Amino acid sequence: MRMDQMKSPAASAKSARGLTAKQRERYAAWLFVLPDALGLLVFVGVPMLLSLAVGFFEVNGFGGYRFVGFGNYRRMWGDPLFWSSVKVTVAYAVMLVPALYVAGLGLALLVQKTNRFNAVMRSMFFAPQMVSLVVVALVWQLMLVEKVGIVSRLAPLVGLSGISLLGDPNLALFTLVLVSVWFLMGFYMLIFLGGLQDIPAVYYEAAKIDGAGPATSFWYITLPLLKPTSFFVLLVSLVAAVAGGQVFDLIYVMTKGGPVNSTSVLIIYIYKQAFQFGAFGYASAMASLLVLALMLVTVFFFILTRGGRFEHD
Amino acid sequence: MTDKTTRNRLSAGLNRRRLIQGGATFAAAGLTGFPFINRMAVRAQEAPLKFWQFYAPGGDVKPQVQWFQKLVADWNDGHDQKVDLEYVVNSEYISGSKLATAFASGEGPDIFLISPGDFLRYYNGGVLADLTPHIEDAAKADFPESVIANRMVDGKIYGVPMEVEPMAFYYSIKAFEEAKLNENDVPKTWDELLAVAKKLTTPNRYGVLFETTPGYYQNFTWYPFLWQGGGEFQGKDGKSAFDSPATVQALKLWQDAINTGVAPRQVVGGGFDIVANLGAGLCAMQNCGIWGISAMDNNAKDVPYGIFKLPTPANGKYVTVGGGWAFVANAGGKNPDASAQFCAWALASMDQASVDRVVNWCTVAKSDMPPRNSALKAGADVFSTGKFGTFAKEIHPGTRAEPRIPPEAYKIISDAIQSAQLGGVDAQQAATAASQQLDAFLASYSGAPIL
Repeated sequence: MRMDQMKSPAASAKSARGLTAKQRERYAAWLFVLPDALGLLVFVGVPMLLSLAVGFFEVNGFGGYRFVGFGNYRRMWGDPLFWSSVKVTVAYAVMLVPALYVAGLGLALLVQKTNRFNAVMRSMFFAPQMVSLVVVALVWQLMLVEKVGIVSRLAPLVGLSGISLLGDPNLALFTLVLVSVWFLMGFYMLIFLGGLQDIPAVYYEAAKIDGAGPATSFWYITLPLLKPTSFFVLLVSLVAAVAGGQVFDLIYVMTKGGPVNSTSVLIIYIYKQAFQFGAFGYASAMASLLVLALMLVTVFFFILTRGGRFEHD
Repeated sequence: MTDKTTRNRLSAGLNRRRLIQGGATFAAAGLTGFPFINRMAVRAQEAPLKFWQFYAPGGDVKPQVQWFQKLVADWNDGHDQKVDLEYVVNSEYISGSKLATAFASGEGPDIFLISPGDFLRYYNGGVLADLTPHIEDAAKADFPESVIANRMVDGKIYGVPMEVEPMAFYYSIKAFEEAKLNENDVPKTWDELLAVAKKLTTPNRYGVLFETTPGYYQNFTWYPFLWQGGGEFQGKDGKSAFDSPATVQALKLWQDAINTGVAPRQVVGGGFDIVANLGAGLCAMQNCGIWGISAMDNNAKDVPYGIFKLPTPANGKYVTVGGGWAFVANAGGKNPDASAQFCAWALASMDQASVDRVVNWCTVAKSDMPPRNSALKAGADVFSTGKFGTFAKEIHPGTRAEPRIPPEAYKIISDAIQSAQLGGVDAQQAATAASQQLDAFLASYSGAPIL
């Protein structure tokens, strides 16, 4: 029975202000949500709308605005650097999202049993999240420097000599994905741990009695019951990969979008257009298009998974 | 008062009449507030001018902090219009969003620093105040043409340079000795540069280092190699001159250094950071500016080093590039006239204090060449000996000012450098592609002349 169904005669009676208990509960809920909703509206919603509006202007960065209609959107069509950034963004997301899913879930499965060792391991996996991403990026940059970085010194041991993980356009993006996974997997591990702990142990016990091994249990119990968590992880990691501040920090510090634009994801290109070239209108148009694309993908995800619901919901 | 009364008052709290009354009161308060707002505007006129830079008071180099603090204290002692220093962290200032955002929202600082790479963006945006009326003729003549030209438009001065930072090569004496080389072996031609770099390359060290990170700084360091062969990115006819043998050979030099394995694809921190690269032993020779002297002397005292001027191609002549920041005043600031006067008073007055200020900045606070002839003369003792002497006598005479290029053109050139240096694209192909893009851009460009 839900809380709102447990009505006592006193509670269901109208209060002195003429509100029922249910109404008061509803208003209280809205009051709790209100500060966050206002914050989102003021700091996210309004800027998004303004950005959408600015996208229809040519802005010189010094207060000069000229209405250009869909001019900025047409410019994107013929801008090879825009398309190159889109390609890099898609490649980054295609590599990062599944890798984060597998790494996060794998770690959660490894440390899901509650004991001291696992508690330490969980803390260790989550530890990178406690460090500034700029520091993380700088440390990794040092470790990856050719000839002197520790990773570069160890690489010949596995047959990889004479490579530049951040300086080679063919390797730089892949390297950034690895660093991103290393940094973010602890966060997704925690989310998966929450999901795993929600699965009743009785299902596994019943499966064991029926002769199911660990792989069968994982395939037929864990994965299906993690569907809502999986949906959340895939969606959040996709947004993080495409438009997350973490991606920006990491790439901006480690490669600045180079070498040869090979790590210039769309948010890096948008940033450069806005703050280095002063093309705020063009940058806003690209940002609006990016938001629209993410919204469409999110809706598609929702439709595909019915919002991450279980089959029987 | 009963509960019922309170309830009635509350229920009556937001009826339509009250709402209209409240709105009217609010509007009236807003209107009557105008005199107060006007007074605020007047007060803003009297408020200190904001001077944004990345040195003081929050900087970590004490002599630089002290130089800026003394500068402002001296000005404030003798002028009614005061100036306040506002420190912006280096990474936020250079290629960061703070300055751009401030100007976009009409809240730009009154006085600030810009590099030649940013000059056109701000000039074309109409925010640079004309400093010429505040600079006496003798002071104008005190700035060599090569230093002041890229801060001028139509004969008017829009920025006062604080320094000239020519590029050169630094080398590790220890690395030279290990390779059985000495100061007589410093390379004089590009071929010699690559040959010496090869001798200096070991499993744990590169022979030579060029900047690899894309950005204004990489372009800046590449320009002298373009110029040495007679190359330019724009011809006298205003069209692109980038597709030339000089461009191709300059692109190829950097490409060859990577392909032959004598130069790294990735640098530590940035190519400007000599301590993290040459000082830490990543390379034996590094392409770096004059600021490297103070950086090495302060932070890598146990690394003996030497300096030599940029080698030249077989068919070329010696040229280096001189960067450096300049004081500029915001034409749309609180008091543009006083801001312009401050810039001129600080660095472009014939007053001895102004000259000494330039000398102190270039010798005590930093290690730079002075942008004024009088300062070069006043600091002759420093500029004629040691490593400063090498710069003054051998390197600086070939200095050409850092070009001022619109961001769009910078990006085209940057992509050409990157694709040849690190992308393995044929140098001729990179030059041709960039030249076509430059032509398209230049045809539509309508700002101040590109220099």
